[in-house]
Order: sequence, then structure tokens, then C-alpha cells
Amino acid sequence: MAETIENSHSDEKPKPRVRPIVRFGIFLVSHSFLVSIVCFTSGVLALFLLPVLAKNTYISENALMPGSASPMLSNQHVSDGNRLVKDLTNSNLKSSETGIESHKIIAQYMLDVGAEVSFHKFHPQMNQFHPLHFFSSPDSGKIQENYSCSSYGINTVGIIRAPRGDGKEAIVLVTPYNALTSSFGEVLSLGIAYSVFSLLTQVTWLAKDIIWLVADSQFGEYAAVSAWLREYQTPKFSSMSALNAEMCPDINNLFEIEVHSMAGSKFSNSFRRAGTMTAALVLKVRDQSEQFDDTISIYAEASNGQMPNLDLINVVNYLAVHRQGLRVNVEKLWSFLNLGWLKSLGEIFESLANIAKSLNPKFKFGIPATEYVEGTAILASSLYYQALGVPTGPHGAFRDYQVDAITLEISPKFSLDKVWRNDIILRGGRLIEGVIRSVNNLLEKFHQSFFLYLLTSPSKFVSVGVYMIAFALLIAPLPMVAASLYVDSNSSSNCSKGDSSTPSAITDTDEHGITIRSWRWLNSAKLVFIVHLWGAIVSVLPYFICQIPDCSPTTSFMIWVLLSILSLLILNSVLASPFACVKASQEKEWALVKSVTISSVFIGLGLMSVINFATAEIGALLMVPMCLLARPLKLDVRAGTFRSCCRIICNLVLGHIAFPPAAFFLLKGMLDGFGSANVGGFWMWVESLWAWNSATYLFIVKATYLSWMSKADARYQRNIFNIHSKKG
Amino acid sequence: MEKLKKKIRSFSFWNWVIASIIFRLILIYFPKNLNLCSRPEVSTPLTSFRRLAEGYWLKQSSMSPYAGSMYHGSPLLLSLLGPLTVKRIEGQPNHLLYSLVSVIADVVSAMLIRATGQNLQVAYFGTLKSLDLVKQIELSEVHSSGDVAALIYLCNPFTIVACVGLSTSPIENMAVILCLYGACSRLVPLAAFGWVIATHLSLYPAILIIPVHLSFVLAICDLLLGYGPDAPPRKLFLQRHQQKGLSSQSKLPPGFSWGSIIHFAFWALLWSVYVLVLCGISLKQFGGLWEMFKSTYGFILTVEDLSPNVGVLWYFFAEVFEFFRNFFLIVFHVNILFMILPLAIRLHHRPCYLAFVYVAICSMLKSYPSVGDSALYLGLLGWFVNELSDMQFSLFLFCGYVGVSLLSPVMHNLWIWRGTGNANFYFATAMVYACLQIVLVVEGVSAMLNHDRKLRSLILDKPRDAKS
Repeated sequence: MAETIENSHSDEKPKPRVRPIVRFGIFLVSHSFLVSIVCFTSGVLALFLLPVLAKNTYISENALMPGSASPMLSNQHVSDGNRLVKDLTNSNLKSSETGIESHKIIAQYMLDVGAEVSFHKFHPQMNQFHPLHFFSSPDSGKIQENYSCSSYGINTVGIIRAPRGDGKEAIVLVTPYNALTSSFGEVLSLGIAYSVFSLLTQVTWLAKDIIWLVADSQFGEYAAVSAWLREYQTPKFSSMSALNAEMCPDINNLFEIEVHSMAGSKFSNSFRRAGTMTAALVLKVRDQSEQFDDTISIYAEASNGQMPNLDLINVVNYLAVHRQGLRVNVEKLWSFLNLGWLKSLGEIFESLANIAKSLNPKFKFGIPATEYVEGTAILASSLYYQALGVPTGPHGAFRDYQVDAITLEISPKFSLDKVWRNDIILRGGRLIEGVIRSVNNLLEKFHQSFFLYLLTSPSKFVSVGVYMIAFALLIAPLPMVAASLYVDSNSSSNCSKGDSSTPSAITDTDEHGITIRSWRWLNSAKLVFIVHLWGAIVSVLPYFICQIPDCSPTTSFMIWVLLSILSLLILNSVLASPFACVKASQEKEWALVKSVTISSVFIGLGLMSVINFATAEIGALLMVPMCLLARPLKLDVRAGTFRSCCRIICNLVLGHIAFPPAAFFLLKGMLDGFGSANVGGFWMWVESLWAWNSATYLFIVKATYLSWMSKADARYQRNIFNIHSKKG
Repeated sequence: MEKLKKKIRSFSFWNWVIASIIFRLILIYFPKNLNLCSRPEVSTPLTSFRRLAEGYWLKQSSMSPYAGSMYHGSPLLLSLLGPLTVKRIEGQPNHLLYSLVSVIADVVSAMLIRATGQNLQVAYFGTLKSLDLVKQIELSEVHSSGDVAALIYLCNPFTIVACVGLSTSPIENMAVILCLYGACSRLVPLAAFGWVIATHLSLYPAILIIPVHLSFVLAICDLLLGYGPDAPPRKLFLQRHQQKGLSSQSKLPPGFSWGSIIHFAFWALLWSVYVLVLCGISLKQFGGLWEMFKSTYGFILTVEDLSPNVGVLWYFFAEVFEFFRNFFLIVFHVNILFMILPLAIRLHHRPCYLAFVYVAICSMLKSYPSVGDSALYLGLLGWFVNELSDMQFSLFLFCGYVGVSLLSPVMHNLWIWRGTGNANFYFATAMVYACLQIVLVVEGVSAMLNHDRKLRSLILDKPRDAKS
């Protein structure tokens, strides 16, 4: 009977003509195993090809015109800077109990050249983790708790009003300076900044205000800059500042004295502002250096893998290399330079390029092997710092307010004689002057060049269009495998129903189709949702744990683990126990669970690639093989073939490696030796991550529950098996 | 046994309802409502709470609430909800009263959806019975579509977000649902009231007049033949009767009855006059009704506000040349009208489903769509859970909706706060969202037609089975 019905059906409905694109899709899905292997390997390969594909940087914004004017910084200004350096070192030798004295000197110097000066008093603010911080605006003034009057920092701010400007735009120059332990490098960076500053008070071309921020770095450079920026961007209309001032009378007195002692009329005790910031430069001078050359290092990574506009780096790079003769460095992972296989890979690429060139001289994409290795090292560090989401310097604070900023660290060829010092002040000052002059020409904010890029050398970059291809290849298997699993599980369930012992009844239900067949995935979606919910809870937990006072990292980590397990149990019992409510007939359910998991991972990785590409890339490298290989242990054990054994081993190894604490230990072990790794270390690391509101942190937790997912798969199967055995 | 099962099911239904209400209340107590009311996905110029408060403030200071192009809603909402925007309870969140009103509106809508769904289900069973397909019902697992739809509506994150985000869309949705409820339970005055209010609040539900009429027309048939608001096409019944050897032609009513239409038109007229009079009274000194029409319907139709939302029109009209603007305005609005007639012809036997399709199309082509509109049609989709059990791409659609609703805030963040993205990023998600809605509608309609075909084939096969 059933057959006749089926026959009549097939008679009635001629097979619909399938469009080529649909046929192609079906082909991909049906060969998903092969396709996913090909895609994944080509994705990894494309990642290693990126240094070869990198393009030379170019200055995209015409208005910048770097180096078109000859530098105006003369020896006069250099000697000004030198004077400040000398005074500061003398005052440090004399009295070093408070930093107030040196700040006074700096303020006096600023006043002397005719700038507006103000002090900004701040309390270092602990970084607080806000689960929803990412989607909200940069944080407006939070209600601040009581501070002890003893710990505060003073930023000295000098502002030059532009003679040609309307005061609506500004360029910021930041020099971190710790008055208590003032090192020579910091003092020298102040000298360079001051020489530029004194020049800029005299020039006529200035169209944007210049703000020179001497950031008090005794609580860390980032804290000082971010405190100043918070104050700058979110004007307080409440009486909070007044209240603060009342609480700490001694500081106030100090300021009073200063105001009286300084005769300048341009000094003000209130917070001074200029216009919106176009760009910011952080200037540092490294204390020790073993380089042969005067080099300058550029640090650009801000929080969550954000980068400043490439044009800013281009301008600095161009001026430093072509005008001042400095060598430009960007950070690289040094350990990559000695890797043998990387070198041979580079040689392979080089020889391939040579062959291509011999075939057609127009093909010019090869780069020498050494350059390849260096490019890879820089790319790796670029990926690493972007993925970590922790800013590499005080410039990170600016990016939160959409201001493009970089840190320039000058590491001079070290010697103490005066000629050398003059030289470094002159060259550094001219570099800064050139950059400021370029930025001064801007009519709009930086928008022409790239925001999403990876550097492979100071003058080479990989743009978003190129590296996204590698990423897309990497995650392309996910939707395909998900689709094929979904299709398989649907069709196989139908077949099994048809084959079962009571055909008449079941085919009947199947026939008129009032079963919820196409919605069967809802059950597995529920399971996945619960696991994700658990992951979200686990990720919010540290926020509450850190409220507990006096916890060593180890104990708080233990609390975290315990609470996570507890929350899983509670969720499990409250939300109708996803592991238990499975019918015996649905042994193929794991395929659906895997399909839903993979699609959720795909969505997650896609999202992450938009938020923070580097994290997504690294996450994809770890998670995609895990997702594709995940398979219930029980089934493999039962199968007992060699292939399934291999798969079990792969699964277990991957599942454990990708579990973040395990990954952390492995990395740490590789870097510092296994002795130093401990549980508390992981807590510290996680704490440092969430302190920066890092999306990476959320991502890592996501990875956590993903790796749990594969285990959950296994456990889930075990449960089903138990049910079976009980029934049997 | 059966009763026990039902009891368990209803028990868990009420559990879920309570859980969703508690969840809403928890979210309301979050500080600043999680900034939801400033999100472009939640509050459009028409439904924004801040604009409502502004309009109320303007009216209180005896200015026209429509001054300065801030408020674009109904004057009735101002008088009803306006006082709640300023009233505060000490120690409680700022807009607690208003939030409570939207929570209540959500719950009422869910209950109305449930009642309508149960109506539809009874009708569905009645149809199957009259077609002698009862055996199949008993064999298969049938979900109580009313409960499912109500739960989908209540637990949908879109609904929750629209409710907590203080937009007025819960109230607009309630009006639409009231209209459909009235139509399905044959309460002409209620249906007319819902239709008039829904049209007054957001204009687009005006096209629901067709499904409402159809349902009344079919309701007349129902009295004669015993099948309900949503049923397979009438041809089926004819065939069935012919097979039985009955000459049932005489029993079938004429397809169209003027009586019910006139009845509905009378009530609709009455209610609309009533609403207009009320509006006229409240706007007497501020330019009268003309001013209201200009800044509500006119604002909707001319797409004046181009601030980003989840729709596609803002981007298009920001890009289009000024002298083409009128042309494209007409094109986009006629787009909705074009689809009305073919769909009405194809789906005339299922007025409720037709209403769902219309609501979905409107929320796609609306000038200021928000997630609250999607919440409405996704809830209505639950009514047809039995019919649509074979819908294709369900997992794909689900993942798409999840992906888009996560991607949209991220893209907005990239564009507005980080400055690394641009408007195209955000608009891309809006386009994906529109595509998803199109796929949903297309797949839904084809699944429904397939269902009808399946019923027909079952009926045609029956006699053959009996012979063999």
C-alpha cells in the first residue's frame, strides 16, 4: 500500500529541474568531507602566504603632504629642550620626595613660551569589567568611590591656541613622565617634546590647537592618559570635583601655593580643553639600547585589536625613513626568526616565485626568504597583539574615543655626550614636527586609508580584503558540514522509519506529514542554547568573584571552577535536563546537535571576525578542526576500527588543547618552561584580559564552552546508552 | 491519560508565561534599560519613547506636539501614555509605569494570540473531520498551535527587546492582534475597532482589511458548511462531495456576501469617526486633524527621517537623487499594494495566513521598521505550526535570524562608536535581514500550498485505497 502511494506520488510530481547554482551547492554539500579538507588546508596555506601578498603602503590622503615643507626646528629650540632636560635632572637630584617640583618646572617652561597651562589631578581608576561594555558608548563618568587622598597623580597639560584655527580641532602630544623615578629616557622625551612645543608657539601655519600632555605615569602610563581623556571627553556638571577637592585639603593647598608662585596669567586651575582631537602621538625614549642605529619603534594596537588609520603610520614611517634617516621597527615575535621550517617555507615560496618569473617576467610576487621570515614574525606579533585585545601602550586610550594614536619609542644609540643628545633631540623633534605639520593639513578626520589591516613590515601591510580570504577559506567548511549533517540526519531518519517493523502506521504519518519533521532540530538547538547560556554565566562569574576581598589568584580560580560546575548543574535541573529528555529512537540525534553547534560556531566566528579579526583567525585555527572532528566517543569506541581510533585520539587531544586553561599552560610551558605555570597564573591572565574589557575574553569563554560541547556530545551519547541499557 | 497530558502541557505553558514576565521585569530593573531605548533596531522615529515624552512635554507647554518634527505618533497615545512618561515612583526605575504598560500589552496580545490559535485549531480539526481525515490526526503528534504561538510571541527576544526598550510597538502589535482576534471569533465590532486603531497608529495594517473581510465571508460559509476561518480551498470540498456522489453544488454558498462587508464597513466607519473626533478634540488648538495627518501619515509615506534602522529605505533615500525621490517613493509603496491582490487570490481560503503574509511583507517594506514588527509576524507564524511542519530551510532561517540580530549591533558599533566601519556595514545587515524575511515568506507560502496539495492527494487517494 505504501509503495503504491509512493508510486503515485512520483508519477504526479515530475522531478523539478534544478538550477546550476543549486546543483553546485548540492555537490559541495555531498562532498563536504573532501571540500572541508581542501578549504581548511588552503585557508592555513593562505595565512602563510599573507607576507607574500602584502602590499607596499602608500599615503592615501592627499592633504597630508608629508615632508613637503622643510623642517623649521632649529638649534635654538634644541637648546631650549636641553635646558629643560638639565633643569629636570638637577631638580631630581635635589629633591625627589614628591614629583610636584618637576611638574612645576615643566609648567613654568610651558608658561614661558606662552602656552596655557593647567594641572589635571586624577585618581588612578581600577579597570572594571562590564559585561555589556562593548555595545555601549565609551564610558561616561562613572560614580566614583571614595579615594584616599594619598594616591593621586598630576598631569600637566599645555595648550597652544592655533593662530589660524577656530579652536575646534586639536592634535595631542603625550609624554609619559614619572616624576618620582624619572629616568633619563623620560626626561629626554620631555626635552624633545618641549623643543617642538616651543617651536609651535612661534609658527604661523598652525591651524589646529596643540595639546601637550605630560602624563604622570606613576600609576601606569595608560591610567594617566585614560583618566585625562575621560575628563576631557565627558565634562562633569555635577559637584563631584568640588566634593573631591573638599575631601583632600592638603592637595588643594599645594595647588594654591603653586598658583601664587606662578606669575603667569595663563595658568588656570580648572580643566582646559581644546577642540576635538584629530590625532595623538605618544613619545617615549627608551633608556637602554644596544642597537647600532637610531631606531624608532611604532606601537599601534589598541584595545580589542583596533588599529589607528594606516595613514598615520605611513606618515611617521615616511618622515622617519626618508627625512630623518631613522630606522623604523614594528614589534615582532623574535622566536619566529629562528624557526627552520619557516625559513624553508620562505625558500619554497621564493623558488616558486622565481619559476613563475621565468615563465612570465610580468609575475613579480616573490620576496626573499629572509624577508619572508621577518614578515611572518611581524605578522604573527601583529596578530597576537590584536587578538589579545590589550593595548600596547597609552595610545590605546585614544582609540576608545575614535582618535587615531600611535606610540613612538625612540631607542637611540646610547652615549651620554652632549652632541649626541642634541642630535637626537633635533631629529626626534623634526620627526614630530613633520608629523604634526602633516596632520595639521588635514581637513577631515582620518578616513581615507585602512583601519583594518595587518602589518608585515613598517612599509608593508595586508589589507582586510586579502586576509579575509584566508579566514573565509578557513571557516567555509563549517556551513557545508552543518548542511550535510542536517540533510543526512533528516533523510536517514526517514529511511529508518520506513524500514521499521510496522510500516503501515508509520508510513502513514510520514505520508501526510503532520509530524514536526523539519523542526526536529529544535531539540538540539535547545541543548546548544543551554550550553551557551552556561558559557555566558561562566563568563560573567569573575565579575562577582572579584568583589570578594582578599583572594589569592589560586583560590579565586578554584571558586570560579566550582561555581561554574554548580551553575551547570542548576541549569541542567531547571531547564528540563536536556541530556535526559531524549527519546530512545533518536540515536542519530548527535548529528543534529553537531550540525546546530557547527552553525552556531560559524555565526560566532563570523561575528568575531568583524569585531576582532585576529581573535577570530586564531580561534578558527583551533576550533574548526575540533568542530569538524567532534564525534561521540561511544560510537567510535563501538566501531573499533583504526580510523575511528585515530579520530578518538584527535578528538581528545584537540578537545584538551583548545580548552583555554590547557592551551594557556601549553603556551606558557613552551615559552618559560613548565615550572612557572600554575593555576593562579591563568587567573591572573584572565583577569588582565577582562580588565581591558576585551572581547577576546568573551571569546575565550566561548571557546571554553565549545570544547565542553564536544565533551557534552560524548556525555550525551553516554546518557542515551544508559537509557538503552536500562530498557534492555 | 490524555487529560493529564493536557494538564501538564498547560501547566508548563503558564510556567513559561510567568517566566517571560519575570524576565522582562528583571530587565526593566537594569540601569538605564540597557540603553535599549536608544538602539535604532528597537525604537524608530514612530515608536521611540523619547519622542513620545518630548511630544507630551510640548503639549503640556501648550505647543503643538508635532512642532519641530519630533513626535510622529497618534495624539491619542499622547493622552493615554504621555502622563506615564513623566510620572515617577521614588526608588524605582524611571519609566516603571510605562514599562509595566508594555508588559501588560505583551501579555494581553499573547492571550489574544492563544485564543485565536485555539479557534483556528478547532476549525482545522473540523475541516479534517469533514474531509474524513481524522485518522491521521490521531496518529500524528499535533501541537496546540495557540499555546505555541503565544509562547513564541512572549519568549521571542525581539518582543522582549521591544518591550523593555520602551517602544510603542507592543501597543501597535496589540491593536493588530485584536483585529485578527475579532475577525477569527466573528466579533465584527471588535475586529473593526482593532483595524481602525491599528491603522490609526501605524497606517500599514490598513491592508489587513482584505483578510478580515475574507474571514467574515468564510465565516458565513462556515455557518452553512461547518468549516472554519482557515481551511483548505473550497474546491477540495467540492471534490470530496462529488466523490461521495452528492450533488452538493446547491449547498455551497455564493463566494461573496455583501451583508458582512456592509456590517464591517458600518462599524469601521463608526470607530474611525469616533477616533477622528477624539483626535480632533485633543488637537483643536494645534492645527487640527490636517496637521496630524501631515506629520503622521505624511511622515510615514514620504520617509523624511533617514536615520538608520533595520529597514532598507533609509539608505536608499539617502543615496537617491532628489528629483527621483518622488518616483521611488511611489515605487516602494506601490510595491506593497502590488502584492496584495495576487496573494489574496492565491490564499483567499486561508485569511489568517494571508494576514500573516501581509504583516510580514509590511514589516519588510515599511518605511520605519523595527524588531517589534518582526516579533508580531513571528508570533503569528506559530498559529500554523501544524501546517508548516514541512517548511524548508527552517534551520537556515533560524540561524540567519540569530546571526543578523547579533551582527546588527556589532556593525552599528563599528560604524558609530569605533569609526572603523561605515554605513555600508550596517546597511549590509539590513539587507540580509530583508532577504531572510523574503525567504521566510516565500518558504512559508509554498509550505502552506504544499500542505493543501497534500490534503488533496490524501482525499483523492482514499477511494483508491478502499478499492484495493
